[in-house]
Amino acid sequence: MHSISPSVKPQQIGDRVQLEMELELGLALPGSDRTPELVGVHGEKRASLCRKRGVDEMLGKATLPLFIRKDNDEDGDDDGRQSKHLQELNFGSRVLVGWPPVKMWRRKSDDCGRRRANCVKVNMEGVAIGRKVDLCLHDSYQALFLTLTQMFPKKQHDGEESDAAYYKVTYEDEDGDWMLVGDVPWEAFIQSVRRLKILD
Amino acid sequence: MTYFPEEVVEHIFDFLSSHRDRNIVSTVCKAWYRVERLSRRSVFVGNCYAVRPGRVMARFPGTKCLSVKGKPHFADFNLVPHDWGGFALPWIEAAARGCPGLEELRLKRMVVSDESLELLARSFPNFKALVLVSCEGFSTDGLAAIATHCRGLRELDLQENEVEDHGRQWLSCFPDSCTSLESLNFACLKGEVNAGALERLVARCVNLRSLKLNRAISVESLARILVRTPHLVELGTGSFTVEHRAEAYQRLIHAFRKCKSLKSLSGFWDVAPRCLQSIYSICPNLTVLNLSYAPAIQGADLVKLIRHCFKLQKLWVLDCIGDKGLAVVASTCKELQELRVFPSDIYGTGTAAVTEEGLVAISSGCSKLNSLLYFCHQMTNAALITVAKNCPHFTRFRLCILDPGKPDPDTNQPLDEGFGAIVRSCNDLRRLSLSGLLTDTVFLYIGEYAARLEMLSIAFAGDSDKGMVYVLNGCKNLRKLEIRDSPFGDAALLENVGKYETMRSLWMSSCDVTLGGCKALAAKMPRLNVEVINDRVESDEMEENPSDMHKVEKMYVYRTLAGARNDAPEFVDIL
Repeated sequence: MHSISPSVKPQQIGDRVQLEMELELGLALPGSDRTPELVGVHGEKRASLCRKRGVDEMLGKATLPLFIRKDNDEDGDDDGRQSKHLQELNFGSRVLVGWPPVKMWRRKSDDCGRRRANCVKVNMEGVAIGRKVDLCLHDSYQALFLTLTQMFPKKQHDGEESDAAYYKVTYEDEDGDWMLVGDVPWEAFIQSVRRLKILD
Repeated sequence: MTYFPEEVVEHIFDFLSSHRDRNIVSTVCKAWYRVERLSRRSVFVGNCYAVRPGRVMARFPGTKCLSVKGKPHFADFNLVPHDWGGFALPWIEAAARGCPGLEELRLKRMVVSDESLELLARSFPNFKALVLVSCEGFSTDGLAAIATHCRGLRELDLQENEVEDHGRQWLSCFPDSCTSLESLNFACLKGEVNAGALERLVARCVNLRSLKLNRAISVESLARILVRTPHLVELGTGSFTVEHRAEAYQRLIHAFRKCKSLKSLSGFWDVAPRCLQSIYSICPNLTVLNLSYAPAIQGADLVKLIRHCFKLQKLWVLDCIGDKGLAVVASTCKELQELRVFPSDIYGTGTAAVTEEGLVAISSGCSKLNSLLYFCHQMTNAALITVAKNCPHFTRFRLCILDPGKPDPDTNQPLDEGFGAIVRSCNDLRRLSLSGLLTDTVFLYIGEYAARLEMLSIAFAGDSDKGMVYVLNGCKNLRKLEIRDSPFGDAALLENVGKYETMRSLWMSSCDVTLGGCKALAAKMPRLNVEVINDRVESDEMEENPSDMHKVEKMYVYRTLAGARNDAPEFVDIL
């Protein structure tokens, strides 16, 4: 397990997690193909976990070895995104067998659902880290471009973020040819696209 | 009453529909016991290890419908090791010997082998209905045997089973002479079936009213099937992947328009949002809608659909419906009785999908709501108190806050008061699942007010033994108690040992109960089976004979007339 620097400011919690999973940094959030390791609140192994839990621990005031809390939430007030973020990752770090209580059969269906989703890789010229976008969650080029700008915010020289319309996005189709995104009807596009590349 | 001739008594007993009532009348006197046992047609065994199969068949030789449950409920969440038990074969063998007139068999959470299905198929000439729920251990070969040999089969209902795929021909085994099917559900099968055979089968079964297809069935096939089955009442679609401009899609819309009797829809495995429009014509008639297998549909599209469903009584969705979507449900579905909201992002840390707001909205709009399963990211006491006031008719209330032990985010308080309000207000509550930060106080409330409670599920809750004792001493109708990761130990376990004989079962895992405590319980109560389940590789510190101080990882206690079972695997100790 690795530590997370709280100075990283994510746009969205989901994006951050996805970014970390691409880099293979971050917590060992369980994927569908990993067996959950049984750890308790302090990362100790399950065998010695049976003990009474104080309310303080439950409220997350205990320091986890994986986090360095910048703020001291003495009275427990949620000061917004930062502690909420940590709270959510807090849960994610505790890999509990059979939790949440969702039938195994339903989890497996869900996983299959995800694999069947139309995910394509997206790379931007000059950016080392690629992303993945699920085309099933988009119904138009506009929606896709919106997602791409969120994933790869483009900064002008004066520091302002540029308009998505200035992006040139190409895609590799089923024949291996690289085409400009936007030329064919959306439905035809999602059938044939294999991956995307954003040109700088 | 004992002067009435037996036929009259039997006729009176015909009016007793519940198992409980029949069980009670059979204890009145020997004459009634005799009349009742010979006239009982439907037998329900809630725990397959509570009684020997042979004894059941001997007592009720006229059994036509047998229902048996195996593994404890937490097996659904992988807490019970794979080979724990719950085998169907002894029951089928006993029925074959003692009740060859059997017509219906319903099994839940049991291990069903192909061998047992083959025996079933050959042993009961009048067999009409097989319902398997959350079972495992069989393959499509077993299904082929059922299809081949069960003449006059009316119902084959497979719900959420683990079935090994040995090829696609089992469905083709229904002979051409089979025209009796009324209900066919193979949604849980992973493999393909012969589409042509399926289409011919449904075409000749003119009484077919319920059909639930699996994911492998294409939209083209579905369209052809629906043309032949315009009287369907329940439909589970297949994958529903289709290009909305494709001809198949147009034919599907046309076929849906002809199905005037459809009241229940499920499936939609891979549906794209746009294709949901195809069912708009059916929505005004729908009473049951299950979209919980369709993660690709986001809130906005769900909402568009639900606005048409004003007769809906039962709705299962994913939490991507969002609080706003639930508000639309609240304003549209005034007949709603059951709502289940499942988590769509089990492992991820995506933004919160539903919160207490959605639940409050539902409660204010849907006053007939009586059954709830709700996975959410947070809950407040204020919300629960409001829900309790708005919906006093809950019989089932299961709330799962995804982060274990999470307090009320507004006040940082435990959720004792919220759940307390629920049990105080809902006098008919039979089933309750708790979550969030909870102290012993919530159990005080439950013991005090939940007089009709039959099943209670506890996780990561409580401070001390007192919590569990409040429940055991208070809830007089408690049948099943399941507890995980809570600080209840031997003192609680041994406080009221007689209680366990009034219950079906007790499950405790990752609590503070020790081996010594379990042994003490077993010694005091010989008619209980106290099972200690060890399922992990023992660490080096563990000796061959662990001490009595050693905490027990998993314990399952149940009343039984059968004594210790002889099919327990080596990792189960029956004390």
